[in-house]
Amino acid sequence: MIVAAESCDIEGGIVCTPSNVNELFVFKPIFYIGEIGISRTHFLIIFAALLVVIFLFAGLRKKSVVPSKIQSVVESLVTLIREDIAMNVIGKGGEAYVPYLLSLFMFILVGNLFEVTPLINFPITSRIAIPLLLSLITYVLFLVAGIRKQGKEYFTHLIWPPGLPVALKPLVGLIEFASTLIVRPVSLAVRLFANLVAGHLMLSLLLVSGYFFIYQNGVWPVPGKIPIGVAWYTFGLAIYGFEIVVSILQAYIFTLLSAVYIQTSLHPEH
Amino acid sequence: MEELAAEVVVKGYALIGYGAAAIGPGVGIGIIVGNAVQAMARQPEAAGMVRTTMFLGIAFTEALALIGFVLFFLV
Repeated sequence: MIVAAESCDIEGGIVCTPSNVNELFVFKPIFYIGEIGISRTHFLIIFAALLVVIFLFAGLRKKSVVPSKIQSVVESLVTLIREDIAMNVIGKGGEAYVPYLLSLFMFILVGNLFEVTPLINFPITSRIAIPLLLSLITYVLFLVAGIRKQGKEYFTHLIWPPGLPVALKPLVGLIEFASTLIVRPVSLAVRLFANLVAGHLMLSLLLVSGYFFIYQNGVWPVPGKIPIGVAWYTFGLAIYGFEIVVSILQAYIFTLLSAVYIQTSLHPEH
Repeated sequence: MEELAAEVVVKGYALIGYGAAAIGPGVGIGIIVGNAVQAMARQPEAAGMVRTTMFLGIAFTEALALIGFVLFFLV
C-alpha cells in the first residue's frame, strides 16, 4: 500500500486510488515447494497455532492452588468457554465440546489480534480459506453430532420440525433446508472474513492516507494538506481501538454460534 | 478511457447498493441493542444471559451488511 502511494502522481491532485484491493491481502511468495508458493501468510498461520499451544502449555504447566499470573488468565479463558458457552448454551453433553470450542476460540482470537499487532498488522482470518475451513469443521461436527444422537431421523427433523401441518411441509422444508445446510456454514465463514477484511481495509486506508497527506515521495507537500493528514491519522487511531474490540467479539461470536449449532443438533425440541 | 468511465459508474452503483444493504441491518442492530439495554436495566441479574443473546442477534443481523460489503468488491 505504501509502495502504491509512493508511486502515485502528486501533480494529479489529491485523488489517488490503489490499483487493486488484493495488494493488501496477497503477499508475494517467499519460496516455492513444488507449485505452492509459501508466503508470509503461511508463516503467520503456523505462528498463531504455535502461540496458542505455547500459551496454554505455559499456563497449565504447573497447576498450583494459588494460580500464577499466566495460569489465572488461562483459567479465566477456560471458564469463559466452559461455563458461558459450553454449559450455558449446549447444556447437557456440552462437556465433550469444550476442547474444540476452546481451541477454536484461541486460534481465531490470536489470528484476529494479528490485525492490531504492530509489525504483523495482518489478520490471517481475512483470507477466506481459514474462516471457511473452521466453519466447515463446525458444520461436519454438528451434522455428526446430530446423526449420532438421533440417527436417521435427524435429517427429517432438520427439515421438518416435529408437529408441522402437512400443508406447510414443502415450503418449510425448502426454507429449513437452505437455512440449515447452506446458509449456516456460509454465513459463519463470511461473517468472520468480512469483519476482518473491513477492519484491515479501513485501518490501512486511514493510516496510509494520513501518512500520504503529511509526507509523500520524500517531500513535504503543501502545508494545507497537513491538517487533513493529521485528521485522518487521528481517526485511524480511533478505529484501531475499535478493531481490538471487534477482534475479540468476532472470536467470541464464532465460538458461540458453533456452540448454538451443535446445541440444535443435540436437542432438536428447542 | 471509456472503459475506465464505465467501471467508475459500475462502482458507483455498487456503492449505492452497499449503502442500501446497510440500512436494514443498521435499524435492526439499533432495535436489538436498545431492547437489550432496556432488559438489562429492568433486570440486572439477567444481564449475562441478555448479553449473550444480544451478541447472537447482532451477529445474525450484521451478516447482511457484511455480505453487501463483500459483494461491493466482487463487482
